Amino acid sequence: MSLEQIVNWIYLQLKILFNILIFLGPAIPMTLKITILAFILASILGIFVGLARISHKRIFSFLSKVYVDVLRGVPLLVLIFFIYFGMGKVLNLDRFVAGILAVGICYSAYMAEIIRAGIQAIHKGQYEAALSLGMTRGQTMKHVILPQSLRIVIPPMANEFIASLKDSSLVSIIGLRELTRAGREYYSTYFVDFHTWLLVGLIYLVMTLSLSRLVSWLEKKFKVHGYGI
Amino acid sequence: MIIQAKDLVKKFDNTLALDNVSCEVAAGEVVVIMGTSGSGKSTLLRCLNGLEKMDSGEIIIDSIKLDHHKKSIHKVREEIGMVFQQFNLFPHLSVLKNITLAQTVVRGRNISEAEKVAHDLLAKVGLLDKKEAYPAQLSGGQQQRVAIARALAMNPKIMLFDEPTSALDPEMIGEVLEVMKKLAKEGMTMVVVTHEIGFAREVADRIIFMDQGKIIEQGPAKKILTQPENPRTKEFLSRVL
Repeated sequence: MSLEQIVNWIYLQLKILFNILIFLGPAIPMTLKITILAFILASILGIFVGLARISHKRIFSFLSKVYVDVLRGVPLLVLIFFIYFGMGKVLNLDRFVAGILAVGICYSAYMAEIIRAGIQAIHKGQYEAALSLGMTRGQTMKHVILPQSLRIVIPPMANEFIASLKDSSLVSIIGLRELTRAGREYYSTYFVDFHTWLLVGLIYLVMTLSLSRLVSWLEKKFKVHGYGI
Repeated sequence: MIIQAKDLVKKFDNTLALDNVSCEVAAGEVVVIMGTSGSGKSTLLRCLNGLEKMDSGEIIIDSIKLDHHKKSIHKVREEIGMVFQQFNLFPHLSVLKNITLAQTVVRGRNISEAEKVAHDLLAKVGLLDKKEAYPAQLSGGQQQRVAIARALAMNPKIMLFDEPTSALDPEMIGEVLEVMKKLAKEGMTMVVVTHEIGFAREVADRIIFMDQGKIIEQGPAKKILTQPENPRTKEFLSRVL
């Protein structure tokens, strides 16, 4: 191959990639929207379920354990089908809502476990000190336990966020036009498979790596004195 | 009697940690509880402010009966300060915040009022210069002195000490005992679980000796330390003296 041929080849490759990028670009906000909304839902549900897991009331701890066990044991893809096709018909859910519900509910189970672990990681002496000062259980949680748990749960929660960003690709199956769906559309129109999936993968990678950096920054910001981390 | 405990029984699984223990403490009295590990002395102390739930028996603190209803337990805990072996300072809060938190949350004092109390107490335990420090930046002895100040900030009528010097390096034990002696001289009612014979001899009005969940001997500190009657007390003292 002459130098000119090589240059031409590279030019052609970049052109293809650029065309695909233009096509995929508008789908990226949808991926982010699904991920962020699902994560917010998962966090809120996760806090309630996580607190219920450690509740002294048997009924709460039992129900929350069932919730976590069931959701961790069912594939997300099945959950998406169940919510969109199974319940969506009855409840009249559109695909956007169904997608967020499925990812959010699935991840809330993992989130609940992280929050439970974060609370239980705090030494029992911290409760005893707070209680011996006359604080109620609620005050102890609010002022003593949760601020310390927060620092502990940030890294694993960030992991879940990154994982849910990747798993948001699964909602492409119910026709939500996010990044993976856009990739499939491009492929089925132009039959360029290598470049399409390379680029889709790269875009996910750029997003997840940026998130990791953001998490490191958050960890520093919420540093708890005395843990030396 | 500011503390009245009657027929306390506490079981952990199959071991009897407290086997029908009764004791009383008068206001202003300093009582030291001694005994081998596992004799039930910490359990007794922890029952007094409801950190451990007794299986049966009756505890009356300053004429408030301690049943495990939320109200009475909080009322009792407001009257009782506790100092732990592991200090248990709040690691995410500065020394000053450690001392003001419960004052504002439980006692409802405003910040400036709470900080004034904290300043006075930090001066008393000799740590005013450390008020902005975090617990991890302090030595064990300093942490324990902050923990004492934190408990005192609630103006308790009774102070419980659960082996306050057992986790400390020998050179730091003195500074904590000094603070405790000062407190005893001011007339604070104190119940202290400790193996510090010197402290007991100098400060205690009475020594309670426990073994296998029972009080086997008690009396004036001098008498117990010099002429113990029970063979187990004798044996224990011969080992620690």
